[in-house]
Amino acid sequence: MTAVVETEGLTKYYGRRRGLDDLTMEIRPGEVFGYLGPNGAGKTTTIRLLLDVIRPSRGTLRVLGGDPRDPRVRARIGYLPGELALEGREKARDYLEFLAGVRGGVAPGRIEALAERLEADLSVRMGKLSKGNKQKVGLIQAFMHDPEFLILDEPTSGLDPLVQQEFLSMVRDARAGGATVLMSSHVLAEVEHVSDRVGIVRGGRLVAVEDVAALREKAVRRVELHFDAPVPAEAFADLPGVRDLKVEGASVRCTIDGRPDALIKAAARFTVVHMVSAEPDLEEIFLTYYSEEMHHAHAGA
Amino acid sequence: MPTLVRKTLREYRRAMIGWAVGIGVFIGMYLSFYPQMHANPDLYGQLAMSKYPENIRWMLGGLESISTGAGFLQAVIYQLFVPMLFIGCAVVLGNRAVAAPEESGTLELAVTLPVTRQRLLLERFAALALALLAVYAVTLAVVAGAGAAVDLGVGFDRIITAHTGLLLLGLFFGVLTVAVGAATGRKAIGLAVAGVYAVAGFVVNALSRDVEGLRWLTWASPFRYYAAGNPLAHGFPLGDYLLLLGASVVLALTAVLAFDRRDVGV
Repeated sequence: MTAVVETEGLTKYYGRRRGLDDLTMEIRPGEVFGYLGPNGAGKTTTIRLLLDVIRPSRGTLRVLGGDPRDPRVRARIGYLPGELALEGREKARDYLEFLAGVRGGVAPGRIEALAERLEADLSVRMGKLSKGNKQKVGLIQAFMHDPEFLILDEPTSGLDPLVQQEFLSMVRDARAGGATVLMSSHVLAEVEHVSDRVGIVRGGRLVAVEDVAALREKAVRRVELHFDAPVPAEAFADLPGVRDLKVEGASVRCTIDGRPDALIKAAARFTVVHMVSAEPDLEEIFLTYYSEEMHHAHAGA
Repeated sequence: MPTLVRKTLREYRRAMIGWAVGIGVFIGMYLSFYPQMHANPDLYGQLAMSKYPENIRWMLGGLESISTGAGFLQAVIYQLFVPMLFIGCAVVLGNRAVAAPEESGTLELAVTLPVTRQRLLLERFAALALALLAVYAVTLAVVAGAGAAVDLGVGFDRIITAHTGLLLLGLFFGVLTVAVGAATGRKAIGLAVAGVYAVAGFVVNALSRDVEGLRWLTWASPFRYYAAGNPLAHGFPLGDYLLLLGASVVLALTAVLAFDRRDVGV
Protein backbone atom coordinates (compact mmCIF):
# COMPACT_ATOMS: atom_id res chain seq x y z
CA MET A 1 0.00 0.00 0.00
CA THR A 2 1.23 3.48 -0.77
CA ALA A 3 2.02 5.80 2.09
CA VAL A 4 -0.58 8.37 3.07
CA VAL A 5 2.09 11.00 3.50
CA GLU A 6 5.48 10.84 1.90
CA THR A 7 7.87 13.76 2.15
CA GLU A 8 11.44 14.06 1.06
CA GLY A 9 13.73 16.91 2.01
CA LEU A 10 10.69 19.08 2.66
CA THR A 11 11.92 22.53 3.59
CA LYS A 12 10.11 25.79 4.19
CA TYR A 13 11.58 29.22 4.67
CA TYR A 14 9.53 32.25 5.66
CA GLY A 15 11.70 34.90 4.11
CA ARG A 16 15.01 34.09 5.72
CA ARG A 17 13.53 32.43 8.78
CA ARG A 18 13.51 28.67 8.63
CA GLY A 19 10.16 27.07 9.38
CA LEU A 20 10.95 23.47 8.50
CA ASP A 21 14.23 21.89 7.56
CA ASP A 22 14.73 18.85 5.39
CA LEU A 23 11.80 16.77 6.61
CA THR A 24 11.69 13.24 5.31
CA MET A 25 8.92 11.15 6.74
CA GLU A 26 6.26 8.65 5.94
CA ILE A 27 2.83 8.10 7.42
CA ARG A 28 1.41 4.67 6.73
CA PRO A 29 -2.17 3.84 5.88
CA GLY A 30 -4.32 3.16 8.90
CA GLU A 31 -1.98 4.45 11.56
CA VAL A 32 -2.40 7.22 14.07
CA PHE A 33 0.68 9.36 13.92
CA GLY A 34 1.37 11.70 16.82
CA TYR A 35 3.36 14.72 15.76
CA LEU A 36 5.03 16.20 18.77
CA GLY A 37 7.04 19.26 19.51
CA PRO A 38 6.98 22.52 21.41
CA ASN A 39 5.26 25.58 19.96
CA GLY A 40 7.15 26.98 17.00
CA ALA A 41 8.96 23.72 16.27
CA GLY A 42 7.50 23.33 12.78
CA LYS A 43 4.40 21.22 13.38
CA THR A 44 1.94 23.69 11.94
CA THR A 45 4.31 24.47 9.06
CA THR A 46 4.39 20.77 8.16
CA ILE A 47 0.62 20.49 8.36
CA ARG A 48 0.02 23.59 6.25
CA LEU A 49 2.40 22.21 3.63
CA LEU A 50 0.45 18.93 3.56
CA LEU A 51 -2.75 20.88 2.85
CA ASP A 52 -1.27 23.26 0.27
CA VAL A 53 -2.00 26.31 2.42
CA ILE A 54 1.67 27.16 2.01
CA ARG A 55 4.13 25.92 -0.60
CA PRO A 56 7.48 24.23 0.03
CA SER A 57 10.71 26.12 -0.57
CA ARG A 58 12.42 22.81 -1.37
CA GLY A 59 11.70 19.12 -1.36
CA THR A 60 8.76 17.01 -2.40
CA LEU A 61 5.59 15.78 -0.77
CA ARG A 62 2.82 13.42 -1.72
CA VAL A 63 -0.42 13.09 0.18
CA LEU A 64 -2.75 10.12 -0.46
CA GLY A 65 -0.62 9.36 -3.48
CA GLY A 66 -1.21 12.76 -5.07
CA ASP A 67 -0.44 16.44 -4.88
CA PRO A 68 -2.43 18.36 -2.23
CA ARG A 69 -2.78 21.14 -4.78
CA ASP A 70 -5.30 18.86 -6.44
CA PRO A 71 -8.72 19.53 -4.88
CA ARG A 72 -9.62 15.85 -5.31
CA VAL A 73 -6.84 15.00 -2.88
CA ARG A 74 -8.03 17.63 -0.39
CA ALA A 75 -11.56 16.25 -0.68
CA ARG A 76 -10.32 13.08 1.02
CA ILE A 77 -8.79 14.97 3.96
CA GLY A 78 -10.43 16.33 7.09
CA TYR A 79 -8.53 19.21 8.61
CA LEU A 80 -8.64 20.95 11.95
CA PRO A 81 -6.44 24.07 11.90
CA GLY A 82 -4.30 24.81 14.93
CA GLU A 83 -5.61 28.32 15.25
CA LEU A 84 -9.18 27.87 14.19
CA ALA A 85 -10.82 31.17 13.35
CA LEU A 86 -14.60 31.24 13.18
CA GLU A 87 -16.44 34.51 13.06
CA GLY A 88 -19.51 36.28 11.89
CA ARG A 89 -23.20 36.27 12.65
CA GLU A 90 -23.82 32.93 11.01
CA LYS A 91 -24.96 30.08 13.23
CA ALA A 92 -22.50 27.25 13.66
CA ARG A 93 -24.95 24.78 12.09
CA ASP A 94 -25.33 26.91 8.95
CA TYR A 95 -21.58 27.16 8.63
CA LEU A 96 -21.17 23.40 8.92
CA GLU A 97 -23.88 22.90 6.33
CA PHE A 98 -22.11 25.32 4.02
CA LEU A 99 -18.86 23.37 4.40
CA ALA A 100 -20.73 20.12 3.82
CA GLY A 101 -22.22 21.66 0.67
CA VAL A 102 -18.80 22.59 -0.68
CA ARG A 103 -17.67 19.04 0.03
CA GLY A 104 -20.58 17.68 -1.96
CA GLY A 105 -22.71 16.75 1.04
CA VAL A 106 -22.23 14.52 4.06
CA ALA A 107 -24.21 11.58 5.40
CA PRO A 108 -27.58 12.72 6.75
CA GLY A 109 -27.62 13.18 10.52
CA ARG A 110 -23.84 13.01 10.68
CA ILE A 111 -23.40 16.61 11.87
CA GLU A 112 -26.05 16.14 14.55
CA ALA A 113 -24.53 12.87 15.73
CA LEU A 114 -21.07 14.40 16.07
CA ALA A 115 -22.48 17.47 17.82
CA GLU A 116 -24.27 15.23 20.28
CA ARG A 117 -21.14 13.22 20.91
CA LEU A 118 -19.09 16.31 21.66
CA GLU A 119 -21.99 18.12 23.32
CA ALA A 120 -21.60 21.06 20.99
CA ASP A 121 -24.24 23.75 20.76
CA LEU A 122 -24.70 24.52 17.06
CA SER A 123 -27.36 27.19 17.48
CA VAL A 124 -24.80 29.75 18.62
CA ARG A 125 -23.56 32.44 16.25
CA MET A 126 -19.99 31.80 15.18
CA GLY A 127 -18.62 35.02 16.59
CA LYS A 128 -20.05 34.16 20.01
CA LEU A 129 -18.70 30.62 20.34
CA SER A 130 -16.54 29.91 23.37
CA LYS A 131 -13.07 28.54 22.78
CA GLY A 132 -14.16 25.01 23.62
CA ASN A 133 -17.24 25.19 21.41
CA LYS A 134 -15.18 26.61 18.56
CA GLN A 135 -12.85 23.64 18.82
CA LYS A 136 -15.85 21.29 18.78
CA VAL A 137 -17.22 22.91 15.61
CA GLY A 138 -13.72 22.52 14.14
CA LEU A 139 -13.67 18.83 15.04
CA ILE A 140 -17.14 18.26 13.60
CA GLN A 141 -16.19 19.80 10.26
CA ALA A 142 -13.01 17.71 10.16
CA PHE A 143 -14.81 14.41 10.88
CA MET A 144 -18.19 14.95 9.23
CA HIS A 145 -17.36 13.74 5.73
CA ASP A 146 -15.64 10.60 7.06
CA PRO A 147 -12.34 11.43 5.38
CA GLU A 148 -9.66 8.87 4.64
CA PHE A 149 -7.06 11.09 6.25
CA LEU A 150 -7.54 13.29 9.28
CA ILE A 151 -5.06 16.07 9.94
CA LEU A 152 -5.63 17.55 13.37
CA ASP A 153 -3.45 20.38 14.59
CA GLU A 154 -3.53 20.57 18.40
CA PRO A 155 -6.98 18.94 18.49
CA THR A 156 -7.35 18.80 22.26
CA SER A 157 -6.60 22.42 23.02
CA GLY A 158 -9.53 24.12 24.69
CA LEU A 159 -11.42 20.87 25.36
CA ASP A 160 -12.25 19.82 28.89
CA PRO A 161 -11.04 16.36 29.97
CA LEU A 162 -14.34 14.55 29.38
CA VAL A 163 -14.65 15.91 25.87
CA GLN A 164 -10.99 15.04 25.29
CA GLN A 165 -11.83 11.43 26.09
CA GLU A 166 -14.76 11.52 23.67
CA PHE A 167 -12.50 13.02 21.02
CA LEU A 168 -9.93 10.25 21.52
CA SER A 169 -12.64 7.66 21.08
CA MET A 170 -13.66 9.40 17.85
CA VAL A 171 -10.07 9.04 16.68
CA ARG A 172 -10.13 5.34 17.58
CA ASP A 173 -13.40 4.91 15.69
CA ALA A 174 -11.93 6.64 12.65
CA ARG A 175 -8.92 4.35 12.75
CA ALA A 176 -11.15 1.31 13.14
CA GLY A 177 -12.96 2.51 10.02
CA GLY A 178 -9.66 2.47 8.14
CA ALA A 179 -8.76 6.15 8.35
CA THR A 180 -5.25 7.46 8.87
CA VAL A 181 -4.73 10.18 11.44
CA LEU A 182 -2.02 12.77 11.89
CA MET A 183 -2.41 14.71 15.11
CA SER A 184 -0.05 17.23 16.57
CA SER A 185 0.44 18.16 20.17
CA HIS A 186 3.03 19.64 22.42
CA VAL A 187 2.14 17.17 25.16
CA LEU A 188 2.83 13.50 24.63
CA ALA A 189 0.31 12.45 27.25
CA GLU A 190 -2.48 13.79 25.02
CA VAL A 191 -1.64 11.52 22.12
CA GLU A 192 0.19 8.50 23.52
CA HIS A 193 -2.94 6.48 24.20
CA VAL A 194 -4.15 6.59 20.62
CA SER A 195 -0.93 6.94 18.64
CA ASP A 196 0.80 4.06 16.94
CA ARG A 197 3.88 6.10 16.22
CA VAL A 198 5.11 9.48 17.28
CA GLY A 199 7.40 11.87 15.45
CA ILE A 200 9.25 14.45 17.44
CA VAL A 201 10.03 17.73 15.78
CA ARG A 202 12.18 20.46 17.20
CA GLY A 203 13.66 23.62 15.76
CA GLY A 204 12.24 22.77 12.33
CA ARG A 205 13.87 19.33 12.25
CA LEU A 206 12.44 15.87 12.79
CA VAL A 207 14.44 14.56 15.73
CA ALA A 208 12.99 11.08 16.04
CA VAL A 209 10.20 8.82 14.89
CA GLU A 210 9.30 6.13 17.38
CA ASP A 211 6.84 3.36 17.76
CA VAL A 212 4.80 4.06 20.86
CA ALA A 213 5.09 0.39 21.91
CA ALA A 214 8.86 0.57 21.45
CA LEU A 215 8.94 3.83 23.36
CA ARG A 216 7.15 2.11 26.23
CA GLU A 217 9.66 -0.67 26.11
CA LYS A 218 12.44 1.87 26.44
CA ALA A 219 10.71 3.52 29.29
CA VAL A 220 12.41 3.79 32.62
CA ARG A 221 10.27 2.07 35.19
CA ARG A 222 10.62 2.25 38.97
CA VAL A 223 9.98 -1.07 40.64
CA GLU A 224 9.68 -2.03 44.30
CA LEU A 225 9.56 -5.65 45.50
CA HIS A 226 8.80 -6.80 49.03
CA PHE A 227 9.58 -10.33 50.26
CA ASP A 228 8.55 -12.34 53.27
CA ALA A 229 12.18 -12.55 54.46
CA PRO A 230 15.43 -10.60 53.90
CA VAL A 231 17.03 -11.36 50.54
CA PRO A 232 20.76 -11.48 49.63
CA ALA A 233 21.91 -8.48 47.57
CA GLU A 234 24.01 -10.73 45.31
CA ALA A 235 20.86 -12.37 43.95
CA PHE A 236 19.96 -9.09 42.24
CA ALA A 237 23.41 -7.81 41.34
CA ASP A 238 24.36 -7.34 37.69
CA LEU A 239 20.95 -8.12 36.27
CA PRO A 240 20.62 -6.80 32.71
CA GLY A 241 18.61 -3.60 32.54
CA VAL A 242 18.47 -3.08 36.28
CA ARG A 243 19.90 0.14 37.71
CA ASP A 244 19.97 2.09 40.97
CA LEU A 245 19.61 -1.13 42.92
CA LYS A 246 18.94 -0.84 46.64
CA VAL A 247 18.50 -3.99 48.71
CA GLU A 248 17.40 -3.28 52.27
CA GLY A 249 16.35 -6.30 54.30
CA ALA A 250 13.22 -7.77 52.77
CA SER A 251 12.75 -5.07 50.12
CA VAL A 252 14.36 -4.35 46.76
CA ARG A 253 14.10 -1.03 44.98
CA CYS A 254 15.45 -0.35 41.49
CA THR A 255 14.73 1.16 38.10
CA ILE A 256 14.62 -0.94 34.99
CA ASP A 257 15.23 0.02 31.39
CA GLY A 258 12.93 -1.78 29.04
CA ARG A 259 11.88 -5.31 29.84
CA PRO A 260 11.45 -6.38 33.45
CA ASP A 261 12.10 -10.03 32.56
CA ALA A 262 15.48 -10.58 34.30
CA LEU A 263 14.31 -8.91 37.50
CA ILE A 264 11.13 -10.98 37.64
CA LYS A 265 13.06 -14.20 37.17
CA ALA A 266 15.54 -13.26 39.91
CA ALA A 267 12.71 -12.35 42.27
CA ALA A 268 10.83 -15.54 41.53
CA ARG A 269 13.33 -17.52 43.59
CA PHE A 270 11.98 -15.84 46.74
CA THR A 271 8.50 -15.31 48.09
CA VAL A 272 7.13 -12.02 46.82
CA VAL A 273 4.49 -10.49 49.10
CA HIS A 274 4.07 -7.11 47.41
CA MET A 275 5.13 -5.43 44.18
CA VAL A 276 4.86 -1.82 42.99
CA SER A 277 5.61 -0.82 39.41
CA ALA A 278 4.97 2.75 38.31
CA GLU A 279 3.47 3.40 34.87
CA PRO A 280 6.34 4.34 32.58
CA ASP A 281 6.56 8.04 32.04
CA LEU A 282 6.78 8.51 28.29
CA GLU A 283 7.03 12.22 28.87
CA GLU A 284 10.35 11.58 30.50
CA ILE A 285 11.72 9.74 27.48
CA PHE A 286 10.31 12.37 25.27
CA LEU A 287 12.20 14.98 27.23
CA THR A 288 15.45 13.03 27.03
CA TYR A 289 15.23 13.33 23.25
CA TYR A 290 14.92 17.02 23.68
CA SER A 291 17.73 17.39 26.14
CA GLU A 292 20.00 15.28 23.93
CA GLU A 293 19.13 17.41 21.00
CA MET A 294 19.84 20.53 23.02
CA HIS A 295 23.08 19.00 24.18
CA HIS A 296 24.11 18.44 20.54
CA ALA A 297 23.12 21.95 19.70
CA HIS A 298 25.30 23.32 22.47
CA ALA A 299 28.18 21.07 21.49
CA GLY A 300 27.82 22.29 17.93
CA ALA A 301 27.87 25.90 19.01
CA MET B 1 -25.96 29.69 -7.69
CA PRO B 2 -22.61 28.15 -6.67
CA THR B 3 -22.25 27.56 -2.93
CA LEU B 4 -19.34 29.93 -2.44
CA VAL B 5 -21.05 32.79 -4.28
CA ARG B 6 -24.17 32.32 -2.17
CA LYS B 7 -22.16 32.18 1.02
CA THR B 8 -20.17 35.29 0.10
CA LEU B 9 -23.32 37.20 -0.76
CA ARG B 10 -24.78 36.22 2.60
CA GLU B 11 -21.69 37.68 4.26
CA TYR B 12 -22.04 40.85 2.17
CA ARG B 13 -25.75 41.25 2.81
CA ARG B 14 -25.65 43.73 5.67
CA ALA B 15 -22.96 45.87 4.06
CA MET B 16 -24.83 45.76 0.74
CA ILE B 17 -28.07 46.94 2.33
CA GLY B 18 -26.24 49.62 4.31
CA TRP B 19 -24.45 51.05 1.30
CA ALA B 20 -27.49 50.86 -0.98
CA VAL B 21 -29.62 52.69 1.58
CA GLY B 22 -26.88 55.22 2.32
CA ILE B 23 -26.18 56.07 -1.31
CA GLY B 24 -29.92 56.07 -2.05
CA VAL B 25 -30.64 58.55 0.76
CA PHE B 26 -27.77 60.74 -0.40
CA ILE B 27 -29.11 60.79 -3.96
CA GLY B 28 -32.69 61.40 -2.85
CA MET B 29 -31.67 64.26 -0.59
CA TYR B 30 -29.61 66.05 -3.23
CA LEU B 31 -32.20 65.55 -5.93
CA SER B 32 -34.77 67.17 -3.66
CA PHE B 33 -32.80 70.44 -3.97
CA TYR B 34 -33.31 70.49 -7.72
CA PRO B 35 -36.72 72.22 -7.94
CA GLN B 36 -35.33 75.17 -6.01
CA MET B 37 -32.37 75.53 -8.37
CA HIS B 38 -34.51 75.05 -11.43
CA ALA B 39 -36.90 77.75 -10.23
CA ASN B 40 -34.10 80.27 -9.62
CA PRO B 41 -31.88 80.13 -12.68
CA ASP B 42 -30.54 83.63 -11.89
CA LEU B 43 -29.14 82.47 -8.62
CA TYR B 44 -27.69 79.17 -9.81
CA GLY B 45 -27.29 79.83 -13.52
CA GLN B 46 -24.17 80.02 -15.56
CA LEU B 47 -23.35 83.60 -14.68
CA ALA B 48 -23.66 83.04 -10.98
CA MET B 49 -21.49 79.94 -11.08
CA SER B 50 -18.79 81.63 -13.10
CA LYS B 51 -17.61 83.48 -10.02
CA TYR B 52 -16.07 80.22 -8.83
CA PRO B 53 -12.51 79.54 -10.05
CA GLU B 54 -12.55 77.36 -13.10
CA ASN B 55 -10.66 74.49 -11.48
CA ILE B 56 -13.17 74.23 -8.71
CA ARG B 57 -16.00 74.26 -11.19
CA TRP B 58 -14.45 71.42 -13.15
CA MET B 59 -13.89 69.46 -10.01
CA LEU B 60 -17.57 69.79 -9.28
CA GLY B 61 -18.51 68.80 -12.78
CA GLY B 62 -18.76 71.99 -14.73
CA LEU B 63 -21.57 73.74 -12.88
CA GLU B 64 -22.37 75.58 -16.14
CA SER B 65 -25.79 74.18 -16.45
CA ILE B 66 -26.69 73.29 -12.92
CA SER B 67 -30.18 74.69 -13.40
CA THR B 68 -30.98 72.12 -16.10
CA GLY B 69 -31.89 68.55 -15.19
CA ALA B 70 -28.98 66.82 -16.94
CA GLY B 71 -26.47 69.42 -15.72
CA PHE B 72 -27.68 69.12 -12.16
CA LEU B 73 -27.58 65.36 -12.22
CA GLN B 74 -24.08 65.36 -13.65
CA ALA B 75 -22.69 67.95 -11.23
CA VAL B 76 -24.34 66.82 -8.04
CA ILE B 77 -24.74 63.08 -8.45
CA TYR B 78 -22.40 61.63 -11.06
CA GLN B 79 -19.41 63.92 -10.83
CA LEU B 80 -17.85 63.33 -7.44
CA PHE B 81 -19.87 62.27 -4.45
CA VAL B 82 -21.80 59.27 -5.65
CA PRO B 83 -18.88 57.76 -7.59
CA MET B 84 -16.72 58.10 -4.48
CA LEU B 85 -19.42 56.48 -2.34
CA PHE B 86 -19.81 53.70 -4.86
CA ILE B 87 -16.07 53.17 -4.91
CA GLY B 88 -16.06 53.15 -1.12
CA CYS B 89 -18.69 50.41 -1.12
CA ALA B 90 -16.76 48.38 -3.70
CA VAL B 91 -13.48 48.71 -1.80
CA VAL B 92 -15.04 47.65 1.50
CA LEU B 93 -16.66 44.61 -0.12
CA GLY B 94 -13.53 43.88 -2.14
CA ASN B 95 -11.41 43.76 0.96
CA ARG B 96 -13.69 41.10 2.38
CA ALA B 97 -12.92 38.71 -0.46
CA VAL B 98 -9.41 37.69 0.57
CA ALA B 99 -7.57 40.17 2.76
CA ALA B 100 -10.06 40.35 5.65
CA PRO B 101 -10.60 36.58 6.00
CA GLU B 102 -6.87 36.05 5.64
CA GLU B 103 -6.09 38.51 8.43
CA SER B 104 -8.74 37.02 10.69
CA GLY B 105 -7.56 33.48 9.89
CA THR B 106 -10.77 32.13 8.37
CA LEU B 107 -9.24 31.84 4.90
CA GLU B 108 -6.99 28.98 5.98
CA LEU B 109 -9.84 26.50 6.23
CA ALA B 110 -11.39 27.83 3.01
CA VAL B 111 -8.29 27.10 0.90
CA THR B 112 -8.13 23.54 2.20
CA LEU B 113 -11.61 22.76 0.89
CA PRO B 114 -11.84 20.70 -2.29
CA VAL B 115 -12.07 23.81 -4.45
CA THR B 116 -9.21 25.19 -6.51
CA ARG B 117 -7.90 28.58 -5.50
CA GLN B 118 -8.82 29.89 -8.95
CA ARG B 119 -12.42 28.93 -8.42
CA LEU B 120 -12.47 30.26 -4.87
CA LEU B 121 -11.33 33.66 -6.12
CA LEU B 122 -13.53 33.68 -9.21
CA GLU B 123 -16.58 32.96 -7.08
CA ARG B 124 -15.63 35.81 -4.77
CA PHE B 125 -15.37 38.07 -7.83
CA ALA B 126 -18.78 36.91 -8.99
CA ALA B 127 -20.24 37.68 -5.57
CA LEU B 128 -18.65 41.14 -5.60
CA ALA B 129 -20.08 41.86 -9.04
CA LEU B 130 -23.55 40.68 -7.97
CA ALA B 131 -23.41 42.73 -4.77
CA LEU B 132 -22.45 45.87 -6.70
CA LEU B 133 -25.16 45.10 -9.23
CA ALA B 134 -27.70 45.06 -6.40
CA VAL B 135 -26.47 48.40 -5.05
CA TYR B 136 -26.54 49.68 -8.63
CA ALA B 137 -30.13 48.56 -9.14
CA VAL B 138 -31.38 50.13 -5.91
CA THR B 139 -29.62 53.45 -6.48
CA LEU B 140 -30.67 53.51 -10.13
CA ALA B 141 -34.26 53.15 -9.02
CA VAL B 142 -33.76 56.05 -6.59
CA VAL B 143 -32.31 58.32 -9.28
CA ALA B 144 -35.10 57.44 -11.71
CA GLY B 145 -37.83 57.66 -9.10
CA ALA B 146 -36.67 60.84 -7.37
CA GLY B 147 -35.73 62.31 -10.74
CA ALA B 148 -39.26 61.83 -11.98
CA ALA B 149 -40.66 63.26 -8.75
CA VAL B 150 -38.70 66.49 -9.11
CA ASP B 151 -39.24 66.72 -12.87
CA LEU B 152 -35.60 66.35 -13.78
CA GLY B 153 -36.55 65.81 -17.39
CA VAL B 154 -33.74 63.37 -18.13
CA GLY B 155 -34.63 60.23 -20.08
CA PHE B 156 -34.37 56.87 -18.31
CA ASP B 157 -32.05 55.59 -21.04
CA ARG B 158 -29.58 58.39 -20.26
CA ILE B 159 -29.83 57.73 -16.53
CA ILE B 160 -29.12 54.04 -17.10
CA THR B 161 -26.17 54.97 -19.26
CA ALA B 162 -24.65 57.23 -16.63
CA HIS B 163 -25.45 54.84 -13.82
CA THR B 164 -23.84 51.94 -15.67
CA GLY B 165 -20.63 53.95 -15.71
CA LEU B 166 -20.93 54.14 -11.94
CA LEU B 167 -21.24 50.36 -11.73
CA LEU B 168 -18.23 49.81 -13.96
CA LEU B 169 -16.15 52.36 -12.06
CA GLY B 170 -17.07 50.75 -8.74
CA LEU B 171 -16.39 47.30 -10.11
CA PHE B 172 -12.96 48.39 -11.30
CA PHE B 173 -11.93 49.65 -7.86
CA GLY B 174 -13.53 46.67 -6.14
CA VAL B 175 -11.65 44.24 -8.35
CA LEU B 176 -8.47 46.25 -7.78
CA THR B 177 -8.93 45.89 -4.02
CA VAL B 178 -9.57 42.15 -4.33
CA ALA B 179 -6.49 41.84 -6.53
CA VAL B 180 -4.23 43.64 -4.06
CA GLY B 181 -5.68 41.49 -1.28
CA ALA B 182 -5.18 38.33 -3.33
CA ALA B 183 -1.55 39.25 -3.95
CA THR B 184 -0.64 40.55 -0.49
CA GLY B 185 -3.31 39.32 1.92
CA ARG B 186 -3.36 42.72 3.64
CA LYS B 187 -6.45 44.89 4.09
CA ALA B 188 -4.52 48.10 4.69
CA ILE B 189 -2.59 47.74 1.45
CA GLY B 190 -5.76 47.10 -0.55
CA LEU B 191 -7.43 50.12 1.01
CA ALA B 192 -4.39 52.34 0.45
CA VAL B 193 -3.85 51.32 -3.17
CA ALA B 194 -7.52 51.71 -4.13
CA GLY B 195 -7.97 54.93 -2.14
CA VAL B 196 -4.87 56.67 -3.45
CA TYR B 197 -5.59 55.54 -7.00
CA ALA B 198 -9.18 56.76 -6.83
CA VAL B 199 -8.28 60.19 -5.48
CA ALA B 200 -5.27 60.61 -7.77
CA GLY B 201 -7.27 59.39 -10.75
CA PHE B 202 -10.04 61.84 -10.03
CA VAL B 203 -7.71 64.81 -9.49
CA VAL B 204 -5.59 64.08 -12.56
CA ASN B 205 -8.70 63.76 -14.68
CA ALA B 206 -10.24 66.96 -13.32
CA LEU B 207 -7.09 69.08 -13.53
CA SER B 208 -5.99 67.82 -16.92
CA ARG B 209 -8.55 70.05 -18.59
CA ASP B 210 -6.45 73.03 -17.57
CA VAL B 211 -3.02 71.65 -16.91
CA GLU B 212 -1.40 70.62 -20.17
CA GLY B 213 1.33 68.67 -18.35
CA LEU B 214 -1.17 66.28 -16.80
CA ARG B 215 -3.03 65.42 -19.96
CA TRP B 216 -0.80 62.50 -20.94
CA LEU B 217 -1.57 60.90 -17.55
CA THR B 218 -5.31 60.74 -17.99
CA TRP B 219 -5.11 57.48 -19.91
CA ALA B 220 -4.37 55.86 -16.54
CA SER B 221 -7.29 57.48 -14.76
CA PRO B 222 -10.42 55.32 -14.55
CA PHE B 223 -12.42 58.56 -14.23
CA ARG B 224 -11.53 59.51 -17.77
CA TYR B 225 -13.31 56.43 -19.11
CA TYR B 226 -16.10 56.96 -16.66
CA ALA B 227 -16.89 60.57 -17.49
CA ALA B 228 -15.06 61.71 -20.62
CA GLY B 229 -17.93 60.87 -22.92
CA ASN B 230 -20.41 62.75 -20.72
CA PRO B 231 -22.92 59.93 -21.03
CA LEU B 232 -25.84 62.01 -19.72
CA ALA B 233 -25.44 64.38 -22.64
CA HIS B 234 -24.08 62.15 -25.38
CA GLY B 235 -25.32 58.64 -24.72
CA PHE B 236 -23.61 55.30 -24.19
CA PRO B 237 -19.80 55.57 -24.42
CA LEU B 238 -19.30 51.96 -25.47
CA GLY B 239 -15.53 52.16 -26.03
CA ASP B 240 -14.81 53.80 -22.68
CA TYR B 241 -17.04 51.43 -20.75
CA LEU B 242 -15.55 48.40 -22.46
CA LEU B 243 -12.11 49.65 -21.49
CA LEU B 244 -13.17 49.93 -17.83
CA LEU B 245 -14.68 46.47 -17.93
CA GLY B 246 -11.65 45.06 -19.75
CA ALA B 247 -9.30 46.54 -17.14
CA SER B 248 -11.35 44.85 -14.41
CA VAL B 249 -11.15 41.51 -16.21
CA VAL B 250 -7.38 41.81 -16.62
CA LEU B 251 -7.01 42.73 -12.95
CA ALA B 252 -9.18 39.79 -11.92
CA LEU B 253 -7.09 37.34 -13.95
CA THR B 254 -3.89 38.79 -12.51
CA ALA B 255 -5.37 38.34 -9.05
CA VAL B 256 -6.16 34.69 -9.76
CA LEU B 257 -2.58 34.05 -10.89
CA ALA B 258 -1.11 35.86 -7.89
CA PHE B 259 -3.36 34.10 -5.38
CA ASP B 260 -2.62 30.70 -6.86
CA ARG B 261 1.08 31.15 -6.32
CA ARG B 262 1.44 32.28 -2.81
CA ASP B 263 1.38 31.09 0.79
CA VAL B 264 -1.83 31.87 2.65
CA GLY B 265 -1.83 33.29 6.14
CA VAL B 266 1.88 33.76 6.79
